[in-house]
Amino acid sequence: MAVANLTRRRSALFDHPLPWLLPLIAILALLAIFPLFYSIWLSFYEWSTFNRQLEFVGWRNWATLFDDDRLSASLIVTFSYFAIALSFELVLGMGLALLLDADHRGFGFLRGALTLTLVIPPAVAGMMFLLMEDAEFGVITYVLQTIGLIDRGTPILATPSLALAGVLLVEIWQWTPFMVLIFMAGLRSLPTEPFEAALIDGASWWMTFRRITLPMMGKVIAIAVLIRGIDLFRVFDYVFVMTSGGPGTRTFSLSLYAWQQTFSFVKWGYGATLSLVTLAIVLVIANLFIWLTKVRW
Amino acid sequence: MATVEYRNIVKNFGAVEVLRGLSFQIEPETFTVLLGPSGCGKTTLLRLTAGLEIMTSGDVLIAGERVNDVHPRDRDIAMVFQNYALYPAMKVFDNIAFSLQVRKLSPDEIRRRVGEAAATLNITDYLDRYPKELSGGQRQRVAMGRAMVRDATVFLFDEPLSNLDAKLRAHMRVEIRQLHDRLGSTSIYVTHDQIEAMTMADEIVLMHDGEIEQIGTPDEVYDRPANRFVADFIGTPSMNFLSGEVVADNGSPAFRAENVQVSLPDSVPATSGRKITCGLRPADLSLSETGSINGKLILAEKTGADIHLHVAVGDRNIVAVVPRSANVAAGQTVRLAIDPAKVHLFDAVTQHRVN
Ligand SMILES: Nc1ncnc2c1ncn2[C@@H]1O[C@H](COP(=O)(O)OP(=O)(O)O)[C@@H](O)[C@H]1O
Ligand SMILES: [Mg+2]
Repeated sequence: MAVANLTRRRSALFDHPLPWLLPLIAILALLAIFPLFYSIWLSFYEWSTFNRQLEFVGWRNWATLFDDDRLSASLIVTFSYFAIALSFELVLGMGLALLLDADHRGFGFLRGALTLTLVIPPAVAGMMFLLMEDAEFGVITYVLQTIGLIDRGTPILATPSLALAGVLLVEIWQWTPFMVLIFMAGLRSLPTEPFEAALIDGASWWMTFRRITLPMMGKVIAIAVLIRGIDLFRVFDYVFVMTSGGPGTRTFSLSLYAWQQTFSFVKWGYGATLSLVTLAIVLVIANLFIWLTKVRW
Repeated sequence: MATVEYRNIVKNFGAVEVLRGLSFQIEPETFTVLLGPSGCGKTTLLRLTAGLEIMTSGDVLIAGERVNDVHPRDRDIAMVFQNYALYPAMKVFDNIAFSLQVRKLSPDEIRRRVGEAAATLNITDYLDRYPKELSGGQRQRVAMGRAMVRDATVFLFDEPLSNLDAKLRAHMRVEIRQLHDRLGSTSIYVTHDQIEAMTMADEIVLMHDGEIEQIGTPDEVYDRPANRFVADFIGTPSMNFLSGEVVADNGSPAFRAENVQVSLPDSVPATSGRKITCGLRPADLSLSETGSINGKLILAEKTGADIHLHVAVGDRNIVAVVPRSANVAAGQTVRLAIDPAKVHLFDAVTQHRVN
């Protein structure tokens, strides 16, 4: 009797999913849903410096989007950054993962060392590379000069044609190891038999990679692209610390633009609108990608 | 076409000795079956032959050439893996065609060969599917097809039928043997199933614990097992073993144990008192009024074709296979007889055959 009672009481309390979901719902509501709706609301208002208050402006912020040169410039920067970084990180990441997958002496140490770049805060990594790319005493500048890629005393980050590459350098340095880790985990979970069959069938290294490894790694690669791609699209820390978007708008990313509008120019409404644009682009591209590659979460 | 020769093959995995110095030779165009219980090292030996594993010491020779350091692709072998090892991301057609694509054959030639193999294996309808969309039996046939399109000199099969149902297995036994005869290649076929070995093999290599127990034709290993292990492993139901001693019965040798007296051929030395293990195949025993093996029938199992009698003889149970017409009932006392020529004798200590 008492036992039955207890069981009933317990099931009433514990079987319902709501109590378990409440903390998550609260966090989501506080950190995601509320800011989202607040941004949408904000995008229809603008701070008036003269009246010192928010004023309703209707669709004006949204209309401005279509006639904003800085926005188009920042979109070009963001997309270039995204495409170049992703390509390099994918190819380098896969190459290194294939190399490190072998069980040679010392490779275990190398695999461990790889994770080091990931624990450095991006802003700090940005500062490091800012110093290393200094025109006078930066080591990267020195090396590039020595091998003849740039002229003496070239300030990489202040040269229009080089600035984006200068920022991409830290991006690729810091995040390629992330790809390596994901790919290595993927490679290690592949079955060995198909590779042995390929060995007997006489396939070359390249043929084995292209026809067997790569297709089997498809889902892993798709997930890596998704995680990294979304992050790349919101690039902020590096450009903020290293170039502030310059020279001109050569490294002026979308996130930086939204930040600048909101906090430097106190145009809260337009800043919110720009953030929503970033969100919309990421959502559309990510879902398109998920749909195309049939990734299942 | 090609011989395969093993010289003193030793293979250790860490401290575990898996193969302990195997030496034997496989003649060209024979269908050789490596038979032995699970874990005796059959797969390991096959993988060494293919070059997928490196031996601790010894030499493998294919067509007279030492191949220890030859890359798997240059050994001219085809292998059917125990768990198929199909390429998961390729359709069945490409799975079969892959080795031909690697060798850059013309698309027409590839289509012809794959089509031929698929027709033989009855998988033409599945060429457009992925391995994960096939049943175990279909996958197995794809794995076979992959080996078939290669005109390799040596074919290696690792328990390719172990995952099939009984009917398909019986069918595939015939298919594989016919394929071998048609291609005229040298085949090494691994199995733990003695029926497969007996039905398919030209030559059986019986392995146990990384050593060879006996090499011979199916008839040889059945009729003259070299030791007690082989005698026990080959044949269903398994051989009955009785411990006893050799006695002289009116000057001719006989085997005696509790409730048992079996005459032996005169060729057996009648050293009285010699401890010995006597092996009697269930099928060689028959019911007879004058039989010298006395026991009590505990169970008569009908299998359809015949009856398996479980008879308590002294403190042991022995099995006899008799025709279904035999008129017996459990509880009854029975007498069994055997032709002296069909008695197998093993030394009680070494377990080696003595007659
Ligand atoms: N890669 C390996 N590492 C360690 N032990 C192994 C390995 N492969 C096989 N073995 C051991 O070697 C023995 C023989 O294995 P195997 O050749 O697969 O036997 P079989 O094919 O006859 O069943 C087994 O005891 C198994 O545990
Ligand atoms: Mg095996």
